[in-house]
Amino acid sequence: MNKFTLPAALLAVTAVAGTAAQADKLDDVISSGKLRCAVVLDFPPMGMRDENNEPIGFDVDYCNDLAAALGVEAEIVETPFPERIPALMSGRVDVGVASTSDTLERAKTVGFTVPYFAFEMAVTANDETGIDSFEAMKGHTVGAVAGTYEAIALEEFVNEWGEGSTFRPYQTQADVFLALSQGQLDATVSTSTVAQANVKSGNFEGISVVGTAPFDIDYVGLFAKRDEYGFLNYLDLFVNQQVRTGRYEELYEKWIGGDVPSLSVPGVYR
Amino acid sequence: MFDYTFQWKQALARLPKMLDGAVVTMEVAVLSMLLGIALAILLTLFRQSGSRPLKAIATTWVEIARNTPALFQIYMAHFGIASFGIHFSPFTSLLIGITFNNAGYLAENFRGALKAIPDTQTRAGRSLGMTPVQSFRYIVMPQMLRISFLPMTNQMVWAILMTSLGVTVGMNMDLYGVTQDLNALTFRTFELFAIAGVIFYVITKIITLGARLIAMRLFRY
Repeated sequence: MNKFTLPAALLAVTAVAGTAAQADKLDDVISSGKLRCAVVLDFPPMGMRDENNEPIGFDVDYCNDLAAALGVEAEIVETPFPERIPALMSGRVDVGVASTSDTLERAKTVGFTVPYFAFEMAVTANDETGIDSFEAMKGHTVGAVAGTYEAIALEEFVNEWGEGSTFRPYQTQADVFLALSQGQLDATVSTSTVAQANVKSGNFEGISVVGTAPFDIDYVGLFAKRDEYGFLNYLDLFVNQQVRTGRYEELYEKWIGGDVPSLSVPGVYR
Repeated sequence: MFDYTFQWKQALARLPKMLDGAVVTMEVAVLSMLLGIALAILLTLFRQSGSRPLKAIATTWVEIARNTPALFQIYMAHFGIASFGIHFSPFTSLLIGITFNNAGYLAENFRGALKAIPDTQTRAGRSLGMTPVQSFRYIVMPQMLRISFLPMTNQMVWAILMTSLGVTVGMNMDLYGVTQDLNALTFRTFELFAIAGVIFYVITKIITLGARLIAMRLFRY
């Protein structure tokens, strides 16, 4: 054996290994032993903080379940609504468990899983305005959290209503309810879970939930990079298993309570 | 680890909306600057006056404006004042916040400029028979504005950039607000903010260059 054979053989082996093992995101997560989830922690009861400032909520539990299924450790990365995509694209997180509505426009940029949760939209109004339904919001100043499904839908309605109606996006859910109780906003549309949680919290006076908004059901999916099929495939199956094993129902009962919304759309496959 | 396919077409299709936003940004900045200069002159006069309460008002204003974040000032103009039952629209809140900030900083600039003008100037005016007000208005103030002209353009640039804080008070018509709205709609974050960055850069560049031209024209000796 001459002295070149061994290095040459090693080189050949690494070359083969290099081409054969194209580690994808799923591999990366498993081998790194850590799953980094983008979670919005200003969105009770999906994501929030307890008295010890620890992240809790439906999305936090969901991320922990996912990490457990993958056999890795979960890391919750707090990302405000507008920062979900930059966090994903710059590689700070692996997956978004951030109550993200799966619109077609957004799916041009990121890859969505099948829905893992569904929201109904509720109208919350300042008691002094006398607004008692979604239609009664016409001609008033209304608002929602910038970058959310309900904000986009509400702004469209406001544009249609025309003169007199104004739409104002605020940065956080807390700001929306603060503005609402101060009377800067007359009414807001938010997910019914958020509305109930905030009205019940007692932090905001003089507001009540007055009805539902006639938007399509807001299905939200997990999201990952669009081209990570292996990972997205795993996530789809995970969502399916969460429902199948009753864990979805369990988490729903724990954080929200009441009738569990169906995650499938009748009459069509996804 | 940054793999992202840029889709400029999708983002550029929204350019007209963003330019509309840029106009609003300019409006806010220009208005806040005009009001800010007027208030700063007033604050400077307060500080020059012998009256203690007036001095106290001016000092408090300048201290708060210079030593707290602009974000705080704008947030207070919207949510803080609203807790007393006075409601301002996002546009007005933003304008108040930036004007407050501008006035504070400019008052400090004016103070520095005044220090650079020798007392003999006032005395010369007085000895020509001018009243104290006249000597300030015709002799000192023009020099003060001239000395602080470049710091003023600096503040104008700041005013432009500070408009981006309007999103915290629900502003969605200015350049930054429009960009954020479009981002929520399309998730084309990097393209949209890159375009917004370029627009901001161009606006501030035009302002600084314009100011230099004006200065060349105004301050020929």
